[in-house]
Amino acid sequence: MLALLGATTLMLVAGAPWVLPAASGGTNLKSPENGRVCIIDDNFILKWNSNSESVRNVTFSAEYKIPGMDNWKKLPGCQHITSTECNFSSVKLKNVYEKIELRIRAEKGNNASQWHEVKPFIPFQKAQIGPLDVHLEAEDKAIIIHISPPGTKDSIMWAMDHSSFIYSLVIWKNSPSPEERTETVYSRDKIYKLSPETTYCLKVKAELRSPRRVGLYSPVYCINTTEKHKVPAPENIEIDAENQVYVLKWDYAYENTTFRAQWSHEFLKRIPGSHSDKWKQIPNCEDVKTTHCVIPQNVFPEGIHRIRVQASNGNNTSFWSEEKIFNTEMKTILFPPVISMKSVNDDSLHVSIGAPKESENKSVNQLYPLIYEVIFRENTSNAERKVVEKRTDFTFPNLKPLTVYCVKARALTENDKWNKSSVFSDTVCEKTKPGNTSKTWLIAGICTALFSVIVAVYVVKVLLRCINYVFFPSSKPPSTVDEYFSEPPVRNLLLSTSEERTERCSVIENANTLTVIEETNPIDEDHKKYNSQTSQDSGNYSNEDENSGSKISEELLQQETV
Amino acid sequence: MSAEPDVIRKCTWPVCLVGLFVTGILSLDCSLLDVHLRRVTWQNLSLLSRMSKSFPIECLRESKAFELPQEILSHTQPLTRDIKEAFYEMSRQAFHIFIQDTFKSTWEEKHLRQVQIGLDQQLQYLEQCLEEEEEENEDMREMAEDEWTQSGAPVPQLSNLELRRYFNRIDRFLKDKKYSHCAWEIVRVEIRRCFYFFHKFTALLRRK
Repeated sequence: MLALLGATTLMLVAGAPWVLPAASGGTNLKSPENGRVCIIDDNFILKWNSNSESVRNVTFSAEYKIPGMDNWKKLPGCQHITSTECNFSSVKLKNVYEKIELRIRAEKGNNASQWHEVKPFIPFQKAQIGPLDVHLEAEDKAIIIHISPPGTKDSIMWAMDHSSFIYSLVIWKNSPSPEERTETVYSRDKIYKLSPETTYCLKVKAELRSPRRVGLYSPVYCINTTEKHKVPAPENIEIDAENQVYVLKWDYAYENTTFRAQWSHEFLKRIPGSHSDKWKQIPNCEDVKTTHCVIPQNVFPEGIHRIRVQASNGNNTSFWSEEKIFNTEMKTILFPPVISMKSVNDDSLHVSIGAPKESENKSVNQLYPLIYEVIFRENTSNAERKVVEKRTDFTFPNLKPLTVYCVKARALTENDKWNKSSVFSDTVCEKTKPGNTSKTWLIAGICTALFSVIVAVYVVKVLLRCINYVFFPSSKPPSTVDEYFSEPPVRNLLLSTSEERTERCSVIENANTLTVIEETNPIDEDHKKYNSQTSQDSGNYSNEDENSGSKISEELLQQETV
Repeated sequence: MSAEPDVIRKCTWPVCLVGLFVTGILSLDCSLLDVHLRRVTWQNLSLLSRMSKSFPIECLRESKAFELPQEILSHTQPLTRDIKEAFYEMSRQAFHIFIQDTFKSTWEEKHLRQVQIGLDQQLQYLEQCLEEEEEENEDMREMAEDEWTQSGAPVPQLSNLELRRYFNRIDRFLKDKKYSHCAWEIVRVEIRRCFYFFHKFTALLRRK
């Protein structure tokens, strides 16, 4: 009984796997798992693991979604795939910096499994740098290297980076002692300091600085350097800035050679592609017979540039020399600071350092922090004390009173590496104040002097008053006399008439000194009429008075109008 | 800011040169990086202003909002390295845009050259200092790389991605408008705006 039960259970359990699939007809198709994406340059590969035991007739399809899409779309290149990977590079993403979602499912006939979702990713972050294309060209002591950047020219992945790649190169001699040299080069660069007629091998890998990404090394390329050229290239190129010019110098061991120098912008190195036509001839440095030439400063725009020199002795020209990089900023000079000193008390001197001024009185932009080297000494001795100060105001303490000290300073750049310094400023000398005991005497003396000055001034003032009183009396009459002799000036009359203050006065007595004040009227007729009326009214006017009265009034009028 | 171009125009190169202090290209002091960047960013900004006399009014119609990711500039506590990386990314992308050869007739060649040179200078400074830092922080960088491969998007990379998206929008705008004169003018103004924000950003570097 038990055995029968056990056997039945066993059969059921064993039979279940066969029975169930047949019964469901494939609805339990297992979805794929472990979906992952591998991106190399512009190649997008989707890989997964199949989960079904029987791989016959099982195909896989994928869909994708990017932001801005409402529905899932079929992933091109990944429809009904029989293997477990597919290439969907043809999806032609517009933007590789957006998150993509992918999902895959297994299909068999009409049945499909559940979707398996791949973790969303940003293509740019997953992309790896693919293989590089390298071309080499040999000279006698150098190798010219052309590296084309990863991806094609129309690469979507590296569209914004093709000028950002740098290449790390490892080069070695194939001879018994393979010394390796690692260099960082641009896409078109030269490797110098090689020996002629030697086989060199190298491998390159591309790098992106930020975000940090490193590609794999390319295969090894080997090339032979040529034999030593008849005309060697110039060496040890140097350029210095002096006054308003640049002086370009180089070394050359042989006579009877003419040289020419060319320059190019440094930033062109970043741009891949050949720029052999972007070198420009430097004026004053064409067909020169000496190993130096003088270049006016306006030839180079501000910035970083490269210079190369070539030698020629008539028929043959050498290879180009090593390219020398130079920054036009090197020619600027530090100006000496302006220093001043004053004595604070009897034993110290206060020094203040001012900003340097250029000769034309333009103030200089101080862009870099400076420190100052100050040389301090007694005027009479030669013993110098050197102090390096970052501050611009400081004091020298513990000095001797009533002694002359002299100071001068120069500006230095804060970092020793730069090694730039200005010339020394003018020497400024100052005497310290006298000591304590003498100082108090001095103060006392000054106080006494002040006091005596005040007293003297007061005494003199009093004296002067007395003298004035005695010898130079005032010529003013006493005030009582004034009342009798004051007369209103004629001007008052004029003023009162212009203010239109009218007063009609009648003459009581016939006195000559009394005058008639009448209302002013520019029209003479009215005035005359008025006059006659009053005279008639009053009846006290004699003819003589009437005439004189009107005449005086007319005169007044005329004066007023004038 | 309208007065700046005039002042700089007057400051012809002899006078400007005399006012500048020097550094040899290979002996840069990275502790003064913010000083350099400040100066060079402002120079590039003024160059961009000078390139074109005025913005053509007819191009206003085509103007587009590129959405400069200002949030990266308003981080309260960004690491110095992140600031430098952001700066480097911005400089690189701006350089990439200005080395395309499709604007021969729009602007004067020499102005364009100056912008290209100026951006290259910015890149050189940043590269030297980022390399120095990398040598010092070898371990930290390896850790960061591990994070990156695992999670796919570590935090410091995020701001650079935003910058990339921003510049990608600009790039696509240029392509869609077929590098027309108006498109270039709009891009010029946009990148100048970007430089202005980054110029303010240099203040953060100084504080570190």
